[in-house]
Amino acid sequence: MSAAVSDVAPQASTAPTGGGVLRRLNIVTAVWAGSALAAIGWFIAHELWQDGDHGSDQVVLVTLICWSVGFMVGIGAFNGPIGWIRGNDLAHEDELFLAGKDQGIGRYFRFTTDHKVVGIQYLIVTMVLFALGGTLAMLIRTNLISPDSQFLSAQTYNAIVGLHGLIMIIATIIMVTGPFGNFIVPIMIGARDMAFPRLNALSLWLIVAAIPVLFSAAFLGGIPTGWVGYAPLADQAPPGMDAYSIFILIFAVSSAVAGANITTTVLTMRARGMSWRRTPIFVFGTVASVGLALPAFPLFMASQILLQVDRTQGGQFYVASGGGSPWLYANLFWLMGHPEVYVILIPAIAALMELTPVFARKPLFSFNTAVIAIAGIVGLSVMVWAHHMYAAGWAPDLNGPFMLTTEMISVPTGLLFLVILGTLWRGRIWTTVPMLATYAMLWNFIIGGITGIYLSDVPADYALHGSMFVTAHFHYTLMGAGLTGAIGALAYWFPKMTGRMLNERAGYISFWLVQIGFNVTFIGMFAVGLAGQPRRVVTYAHLFAAGNLVSTLGAYCIGIGMLVLLYAIVSSWMHGPIAPANPWGAKTLEWTVPNPIPLENFEVLPVVTEDPYGYGVDEAFLTAELVSGSAPRTASTGSATATQAEVAAGSGQQVATLDREAGQL
Amino acid sequence: MSTDLPAPDGPSEPVVQSVAGWRAERVRIFWIWLVLTGLLVVFSLTVPARLMGPPASPTMHSVESTMTLFSVAASPVAALVWAIALYSLLRWRSKGRPTADGPAIRGHAATTVAWAVTSTVLCVFLLVWGMAEMIVINSPAEANAPLVVDVTGQQWVWTFSYPSQGNVESDQLYLPVDRPVIFHVTSKDVIHSFWVVQMGIKIDANPGETTKTSVMPDKIGVFDVRCAELCGLRHAEMQTSAHVVSASDFNSWLSQNGGHS
Repeated sequence: MSAAVSDVAPQASTAPTGGGVLRRLNIVTAVWAGSALAAIGWFIAHELWQDGDHGSDQVVLVTLICWSVGFMVGIGAFNGPIGWIRGNDLAHEDELFLAGKDQGIGRYFRFTTDHKVVGIQYLIVTMVLFALGGTLAMLIRTNLISPDSQFLSAQTYNAIVGLHGLIMIIATIIMVTGPFGNFIVPIMIGARDMAFPRLNALSLWLIVAAIPVLFSAAFLGGIPTGWVGYAPLADQAPPGMDAYSIFILIFAVSSAVAGANITTTVLTMRARGMSWRRTPIFVFGTVASVGLALPAFPLFMASQILLQVDRTQGGQFYVASGGGSPWLYANLFWLMGHPEVYVILIPAIAALMELTPVFARKPLFSFNTAVIAIAGIVGLSVMVWAHHMYAAGWAPDLNGPFMLTTEMISVPTGLLFLVILGTLWRGRIWTTVPMLATYAMLWNFIIGGITGIYLSDVPADYALHGSMFVTAHFHYTLMGAGLTGAIGALAYWFPKMTGRMLNERAGYISFWLVQIGFNVTFIGMFAVGLAGQPRRVVTYAHLFAAGNLVSTLGAYCIGIGMLVLLYAIVSSWMHGPIAPANPWGAKTLEWTVPNPIPLENFEVLPVVTEDPYGYGVDEAFLTAELVSGSAPRTASTGSATATQAEVAAGSGQQVATLDREAGQL
Repeated sequence: MSTDLPAPDGPSEPVVQSVAGWRAERVRIFWIWLVLTGLLVVFSLTVPARLMGPPASPTMHSVESTMTLFSVAASPVAALVWAIALYSLLRWRSKGRPTADGPAIRGHAATTVAWAVTSTVLCVFLLVWGMAEMIVINSPAEANAPLVVDVTGQQWVWTFSYPSQGNVESDQLYLPVDRPVIFHVTSKDVIHSFWVVQMGIKIDANPGETTKTSVMPDKIGVFDVRCAELCGLRHAEMQTSAHVVSASDFNSWLSQNGGHS
């Protein structure tokens, strides 16, 4: 069986139109091809290098690369390029097949190019990653329930901490731009698909290929370095570290492909009339995120290539005794690492900015400010990386400048708060689950932001760096703001993506369990961090016992809440009430297409004549009504007429004047 | 863009309250803000520094002041965000699906400018404070006749040696009170991070490099030295004690261990 499947690639080249081969490839053939090639790779590498100095690392490296290549061959990722090399391209019916036309559930398990299928696939991948990362978090917290729990050995604990970190970082990076960037953004801008549909499928299947690579680390000694993979600890780590490197290499390619695709789509395929000022803010957030990832991840990739040279070829890039420097790794890593947190945050907050006007029944407060703030964060976020290294001793003279850039980033971030608060201001607040996510973000991100200011301060960071305080801080930003935003986005777009309404009651229960559990967990963690508990420790002084117990109980509460959310998603998806095309009364284009969405979204491409935030009643008109209607009767008719004349001009400034006059009456 | 919004069939209740009502609403938000600010200031003045424990050096003292001050400064900001959010939930919430839209406010230039200017001013304040603080915490390094301690991290122990005191070596840190100390920190294997918790100092121990930090212990007692950078299997156990003792006790400890003062 496996031999038959590994013949698939040559067949593909003999049948360049895709023909029968195309129709026979799916995730099963991919797994077979990947396994077969991995077995071959393992055998050859084992024979050649097993006895060398770096034998086990070389064998793991070759095996995992072979798996990934085989998987991509088996899913059909190379059919197109091989066809082009042979001077052929797919026939029209093959293109339609690739897009998943009339295929039912099977299209979710193939190299399908329809952006809606890819979006759903990303959603499932994200949920799988969260389930695994979350389970690991439960294990970590269970171990830390008391200083003497000894639930996990130190070795297991360290391996799990690294895996939890990496899985969650990857999950949060793709959680918004993957499902919603792929499913929603093209419809939102009035396009029939992405600019490069096959690259879209490629980016998704690369991640699917990479996930077993990541999990193989668990069986290869784990990632005992934390998710940062600091060298030279990474140089002495077990072969799990090789799985880490390969995973990062594949993920970096995937994110580059996805980033180029989404950026090109938004730049070139917006509907007629959709000028930048009429483009929804979520589109800006998505482009900012994937655009920021484009320069960031290659640096991570480079850091891992150098690490692999160290580990498998005896290179000394990060080994001081060989002339290398651990600071080289730390710089490469954080050059990716800080932009990366904004890769996570920006689209999540942009999604909340998109849905807040819908549920406040008001226009977005100052669209321009929102765009400028996002641009400001993107610009500054590439200049702050060394604030992770204040205490590294790398360049003490640069600590001051990095403190400046880091603190400056609070200005554009503050403007995002203003935009959301301004949108809520005097709105008609409809407290759906997505809207509650906005409120939770306002609560959590204030705490995450303020604790970030302590850490930006060099002397305070000397005291707090490497402590649980830092762990609590970044969970408040990435989970409290980021994941909360993503859950809000899911609840908001669920009716469009699945055609069914999300179970509201379960949604509320989950929301409160997760948010209360979250705050309990991480406030406990702030406390033990301030008191001096280091991060990533398997055991701790008894002084920290109470805070850790609180954190663990809170974490269980999050876990239960997430299970409720999972139940809500699965049960609603299967048999929730059928959703109308536009259940929220929103004005962006994705709500104009019917459910289920046709293959190419729009029968007739839309022409856009205004921005999507045209909610609201002309305030000046209403105020005028009030002045003449409900203000004291002493108001002369003359004054009322004057008011209406002002109303015709209708600017906010005049309304303010009117307020004042009326107040004096 | 088109919309399937169930047509707002005319405002069924007044969409905007009476204008005098608006003034009352702003006053109420102000009071919520004031109360929240007050609560947060009380929290700021009492909680963070207490959790960090009594400081054992001017450095830690300065860090705790910073934590308190930044918390106080952040209080009105957090209170403003939460007050508006809370008020919107209490007063502007519609029961179920809204039957009409809110006012079409598309921004307010004066508010936006005021917001941006205020946050920039706060930012400049943070920066200036931080720079001033850095001068304070670096002062022990510039003092006369500091004690030099070489700190070496290796998996998973700390070694302290006193090069000018006859190279006395110890796996616990002994320091005389009220004398500036400079630590020269390095590692034999991977990155560790030398952290004296109650003194508020931390610097990585890097293989092949020597990094420096300094402090002036001003309190006699036993404090915690921990490793703050994941360094392998027994990272959690890589801790020891820092004993701050009187100058004479320090000298007798040195001579007991074959050194001189």
